[in-house]
Amino acid sequence: MKNRKHLIPPAILALLLVAALVWGYNQNQIRKQHEITLENYYQRLFFDVKKHIENVQVNLSKALVANSKERNVLLFSQIVSEATSAHSKLGQMPLTHAEVANTEKFLNQAADYSTFLIQRHLQGEEITEEQREALNGLQGNSARFNGELENIQGSLSDQNFLLGSMSNNQGGEIEEANANIFQTSLVQLDKEFSKTPELIYDGPFADQMVNRKPVGLTGNDVSLEDAAKIAQEFLGEVSIGGIEAFEAGEHVDESRIPAYTFNVFSQSQNEDMAIYLGVSKKGGKVIWMANPRPVTGGKMSVKDAEERAKRYLQDKGLFNMEPNYSLKYDGGVLFTFTNTQDDVIIYPDLIKVKVALDTGEIVGFDASAYYMNHKDRTITDPHLDQGGARAKVKENFVIDSTRLAIIPKGKDEVLCYEFKGKHNQGDFIVYINALDGSEEQILQIIQDENGTLTF
Amino acid sequence: MKKGEIHLKKFIIITTALTMIFLSIFLFFGPENPKLISSNYTVFAERVLYWGTQGQDVKTVQDKLSRWGFYDGKADGIYGARTYRAVRKFQAKHGLKVDGVVGLATARALGLPHAVGATASGGVNRSADEYLLARAIHGEARGEPYVGKVAVAAVVLNRTRSSSFPNTIAGVIYQPLAFTAVADGQINLTPNMDSIKAARDALNGWDPTYGCLYYWNPATATSKWIWSRKVTLKIGKHWFGI
Repeated sequence: MKNRKHLIPPAILALLLVAALVWGYNQNQIRKQHEITLENYYQRLFFDVKKHIENVQVNLSKALVANSKERNVLLFSQIVSEATSAHSKLGQMPLTHAEVANTEKFLNQAADYSTFLIQRHLQGEEITEEQREALNGLQGNSARFNGELENIQGSLSDQNFLLGSMSNNQGGEIEEANANIFQTSLVQLDKEFSKTPELIYDGPFADQMVNRKPVGLTGNDVSLEDAAKIAQEFLGEVSIGGIEAFEAGEHVDESRIPAYTFNVFSQSQNEDMAIYLGVSKKGGKVIWMANPRPVTGGKMSVKDAEERAKRYLQDKGLFNMEPNYSLKYDGGVLFTFTNTQDDVIIYPDLIKVKVALDTGEIVGFDASAYYMNHKDRTITDPHLDQGGARAKVKENFVIDSTRLAIIPKGKDEVLCYEFKGKHNQGDFIVYINALDGSEEQILQIIQDENGTLTF
Repeated sequence: MKKGEIHLKKFIIITTALTMIFLSIFLFFGPENPKLISSNYTVFAERVLYWGTQGQDVKTVQDKLSRWGFYDGKADGIYGARTYRAVRKFQAKHGLKVDGVVGLATARALGLPHAVGATASGGVNRSADEYLLARAIHGEARGEPYVGKVAVAAVVLNRTRSSSFPNTIAGVIYQPLAFTAVADGQINLTPNMDSIKAARDALNGWDPTYGCLYYWNPATATSKWIWSRKVTLKIGKHWFGI
């Protein structure tokens, strides 16, 4: 009896120890398994990226040799696909943005530039000398990239280091000497890419597109005090409890639209329910306004709300604005207004207005697109009549309405016939260039009970 | 002889106990039995829910409604009178059609991703983007003023349009080492109403940052590199830059 009691504590301890060991062992197994899964994934990404870059390089060299537009279009479309895949996979590897920003840009622009050249070819144009030069540059860069990946692959297989071990350090000090090879070599490459000259072309990722400045803002710069006054005037009837400017950064003048941003407390509401406004430095225009108050029990109809929005824009001195789409969400309706001139709808000059359905108050206003693009335009007469343009649209496309419109095309704008209609039970808009009859754009319209979205 | 028997008995008992513990622990923690952590977050309202329906999706709706104070019952997965009233209250408050049915619009307002039936548009919509963006906002900027939340979402969207970043919302959010909330799993928290609203506002074009590509919290930023960015605006705890 006495003997047994004596054995109980050590037995329990032994049991606990065994349990802990088993548990620990299992945890370790799980961790190892996760590590292996991750490592395999990274290795796959690495070899995939390498293959894609190889294909980009080879196709670029071929494109420089090819003499026919048909062959070039095929080669460029392959470059687009390979560069896009490489870009998407590079973005999943355990590398910080700082380490691969320029490499990503190179891949994005290689794909984008190829798309641009495909478009040129399809319009029947030849590659110019400058474009050939640019292709040469891209080819050189992809070759350098490929060479660097070759080196990394060498050290990967020599020293058997694991890519997954790099994801643990947050861009700070690198402990693993092996990881160093990978990172420094890619960082070095990234630096070289940053030195390559800007590609001049028309596409969404072209530097000229990204660094666009607002053309709709003219006049002198306004001071912070004046801007605050403009903001208060803009809000008009709202009783203002206080106005506060957000602190601007040192480089505020380099942002897309240099502006003052305000936080306005209305007297009727509590402190954290603020109205926000942005007033441009140049010309002192209200770029956007938002009042994110909760909207409850909306009874107003969308039609009435649209009237309110229209009147609001007129009050703000924005005439000739025509509503075209609406989207109901969070108790309000967001209307998209576009500028019109001589009955031509000008899509780049776009303003969004949000109306709360409970009181009919305007709770959102965004004219950033308008001020980015608005300018005095002379609209040329279409070379094509409506019938001629209709002939360019797919025959069994059921057209509901037709009008003239100006749509953005890269950094330029084109005059088009806009055909709204249905095909295969879906809603679409087809744009036919009013000058040369080319099919410029097709939009799909998604409609549900809340409104309309375009894709 | 007797003593030996006792020892044998003891030995057998202890070994059996140990084996059992060993086995049960293996079964519970074994690597072939990993817990599906993510299953909590990917509940899809794939059908229309109304009085009388039951299931996991009803439970999710109840859970959301009770978190926002509309529903005071148990999240039992049964669509009863209380759930009905709660849904009606929720709909009234959010300007939806008050019918007590969780359809497309209500599911969206609740922040539930949903699969659309076979319409002409064939399930093309923005709800997946909206939800992912809302989770990113919730993980990254929960404590920020509303404009700060929209600003964070706007940065994500601006990145998709920039040449030096991935081109999709998921690509930007899940880019390794890009967001701390993704790295530490906070992104998997269920977003609140404010985050969903902010995601919608950002997707509808509101950009309080005027095209910024970066933001960081100067008090906690770990990357030295981020300080080389040009600051253009400060909202709440975050600095925004290009």
